[in-house]
Amino acid sequence: MAEVEETLKRIQSQKGVQGITIVNAEGIPIKTTLDNSSTVQYAGLIHQLVMKARSTVRDIDPQNDLTFLRIRSKKSGIMIAPDKDYFLIVIQNPSD
Amino acid sequence: MSIPTAKLKKPTLKVTPSSRAMNISTSGILRLNRSATYARSINASVSRKSFCLAADSKILEKSSVQTPKHTIQVLDENGKDVTPRPVYQPDPAAVQSKHSKIFASDTSGGTMSDFYSTTYQTTTNASFAGAFTRSLFGSGSVSIGSQSIMESMSEEIEDPSSKRDNSISLSDVQVKREEVKELIQEEMLDDMVDLYLVESDTLCLLDMPAISVSVDSMEAESVKERNSRYTELCKNRTGNDKYMGRSMQTFNGASKTKEVQSEAITMADAATIANNWDMYDSFCSAGQGEVDLSTDTDKASIAEMIHQNHGPTRTMERTMSVISSSTIVSSSSSRMEMEPFVVPSESKPDPELILQSEEFQQHLFVMERIILENIYQPKLAAYRQLPTLEDPDSMPKAVPMVVSRREESSLDEEGPPTPALERLWSFSCELTTGRNVSSMAWNKRNPDLLAVGYGQFAFKDQKPGLVCCWSLKNPSWPERIFTCQSGVTALDFSASSASMLAVGMHDGTIATYNVQSREKTPVIDSSDCVHKHTSPVWQVRWINHERALSGEDKGEALISVSADGRISKWFLRKGLDCIDLMKLKRTRNDRFKRQVGEKERKSEALISRQAPGLCFDFHPTDSNIYLAGTEEGHIHKCSCSYNEQFLETYQAHKGPLYRITWSPFCSDVFLSCSSDWTIQLWRQDLFTPVLGFMSTQRAVYDVMWSPKWATVFGAVNEGRMEIWDLGASILDPTIVNPASPGVKLTSLLFATETDCVLVGDSDGQVSVYQLKNFTAGEGTQVGTLEDIIGSTLASQL
Repeated sequence: MAEVEETLKRIQSQKGVQGITIVNAEGIPIKTTLDNSSTVQYAGLIHQLVMKARSTVRDIDPQNDLTFLRIRSKKSGIMIAPDKDYFLIVIQNPSD
Repeated sequence: MSIPTAKLKKPTLKVTPSSRAMNISTSGILRLNRSATYARSINASVSRKSFCLAADSKILEKSSVQTPKHTIQVLDENGKDVTPRPVYQPDPAAVQSKHSKIFASDTSGGTMSDFYSTTYQTTTNASFAGAFTRSLFGSGSVSIGSQSIMESMSEEIEDPSSKRDNSISLSDVQVKREEVKELIQEEMLDDMVDLYLVESDTLCLLDMPAISVSVDSMEAESVKERNSRYTELCKNRTGNDKYMGRSMQTFNGASKTKEVQSEAITMADAATIANNWDMYDSFCSAGQGEVDLSTDTDKASIAEMIHQNHGPTRTMERTMSVISSSTIVSSSSSRMEMEPFVVPSESKPDPELILQSEEFQQHLFVMERIILENIYQPKLAAYRQLPTLEDPDSMPKAVPMVVSRREESSLDEEGPPTPALERLWSFSCELTTGRNVSSMAWNKRNPDLLAVGYGQFAFKDQKPGLVCCWSLKNPSWPERIFTCQSGVTALDFSASSASMLAVGMHDGTIATYNVQSREKTPVIDSSDCVHKHTSPVWQVRWINHERALSGEDKGEALISVSADGRISKWFLRKGLDCIDLMKLKRTRNDRFKRQVGEKERKSEALISRQAPGLCFDFHPTDSNIYLAGTEEGHIHKCSCSYNEQFLETYQAHKGPLYRITWSPFCSDVFLSCSSDWTIQLWRQDLFTPVLGFMSTQRAVYDVMWSPKWATVFGAVNEGRMEIWDLGASILDPTIVNPASPGVKLTSLLFATETDCVLVGDSDGQVSVYQLKNFTAGEGTQVGTLEDIIGSTLASQL
């Protein structure tokens, strides 16, 4: 548990990282470093996107599964590690 | 016997009894049932019951008590006898009837049963003595369900003898009934009831005569005759005047609508989208025995989609064959698509559980690396000699005036761009700050894995040592951290089992760690060994002996050299144990060979007979020969076969030798560096160095040949890091990189596949530099080196 905390802290302190959010399978945030409204917004939107992405991947080959999703935008990048029970979402500004 | 007739529907008819047993109904609602008597039973007496229905209590019915027969006469207003004629005339001779009149309002039990019986319009309501009646009652009054009444009735019927002669008047009837009832009640328990079971006549309930007759039967003749007659008749009929066609009209009964109301049937629409993977999931989970899918998801099949998920075991064969047909993945509510993921899990996972789960840690790990890759991407790309991607959205920086080409492949000319070092990044974290980097080693199998040992060189300010395994993918935090009880002075990765890391420490302990596991403790430790080193271990090396001395020495062995003057070979035999390959004995400067047992010079008081060994290196091709450097400044060439004496001794240095290294390209050439500010290049058959290099007046801590070019080597002294290219110049280093002020550089490592150099310093940082615009030329330049050596030698002559 402590290692998890440490890793989270390290990630948070990396250059450009804006926030980390962990949402459970229903889209309810478990742990977050962003403010509430952003968290809720990210959680809801990303949840749908991941579902869609996962559906896409699995439709092509049902034995395949989505392991990582990364969105690169002009101002930031969103990295999502999906799992059966949760999503791990990190927002980073790479150009900082 | 007179049979009165009466109109049935006149309400004001007067009823008068008549002699005969007849019943007359008076009111419109009254109905008269004439009971048929079947007097063929054994019992001679026949009792007849007739019932009257009356909405209002109107019937009077009576007959004389004495006579069994009583008749009623109905008279209308005019006094006309309108008693209804009985439908059936019973046989007068055998009649003895008993009447029972019913009042609708009369609630005596017996009458009510009668009342009810008649409502069923059993035309064969006969009331008979004994068993027959009983059976009738049984059939007729089953639906009444008043057993007591029936019983009472039956009881009553049952003794016909006692009641036979009752022609009962109204009151009599009542009384009789009551009497009978009372009687029954009193005597019920004691009575021995006689039951007469008699076979009743066959009641024909339905008679459908056959249309066809067998040819052989008796009637056949007559039937045939009738048939022929009929056909003749039909023939005659057509034109005959005797027969006239006439139409008839049938009345259709009036239809009646009847309304029925029921509860509304609630209907619910259910729809589902079954995806490719959805079916695959159900198939897999059904195969494992989970069938709780249907409860959680309302999956009703859509008409155009024949995928079904109910009872997946049942329909799976069908659906699997349909997978090839297109499935429409519409943007239905995400809830539907989500449910397959929720379903297999037993319950909603606790947030705490999630955070502690293995997968979460793994994901964090990956995420961290990805984030770092984002940050370090240009650097790592440069390291790997990939073209760096320009971030298209970042502001374009001003192009420096100095032209420096970006491509890193080897160029033919050096030209205007000067070779330089570019600092890419450094491995450091808060754990390592303040520690002295004492040694570095690459993993033999995974060239991205670097082990760095932290420990002080000097005897003073010793603190617990640290070994960190860094991965290139995460420059900000080591993958493995091992703390050791004393400063780490030497490191090496094994080649055969790539996860074994040997660590030599300042207190003489040698430990091996398994970097694959997450354990913090060494696999094995030499602290229990009797022959362990008593002084700092300055170098450890895994050496693969191809030609073994004895059978058990084959394979890889760990060799270490320590300041107590021994070069030991360690092996695992009931614990870590070592044998000495060589004891480094002190030699005097003017001697080449040491004689056994000779005393040292008397003028010197030596602490020990051994010379502290500081470094060694095995010959790259011949693993029997190795070089050892001592604190005295001597280089001894030794063989594993002889552990008593040296093969050769090279003396040139005036101070402790910090590093000896064979050239990976020229097997005769080796380099040595020492604290006497010099680096010497030797050829093993010459006892004086071929070339000496000195750039600054600082002790050279480390020197290493470049793995790529034979003429290039790097050196680290206290204040700066140098790259020498002998092809370019033998007097000056080609590239010089000064250290940060206050920091001493302590170790050097070339990266094996790229043009990068790692430099460790006394502040705990391992900096990665890339050689830019640097090349020694095509190929490995072995020839060049030899040329240089040859020319130098020639010039010395």
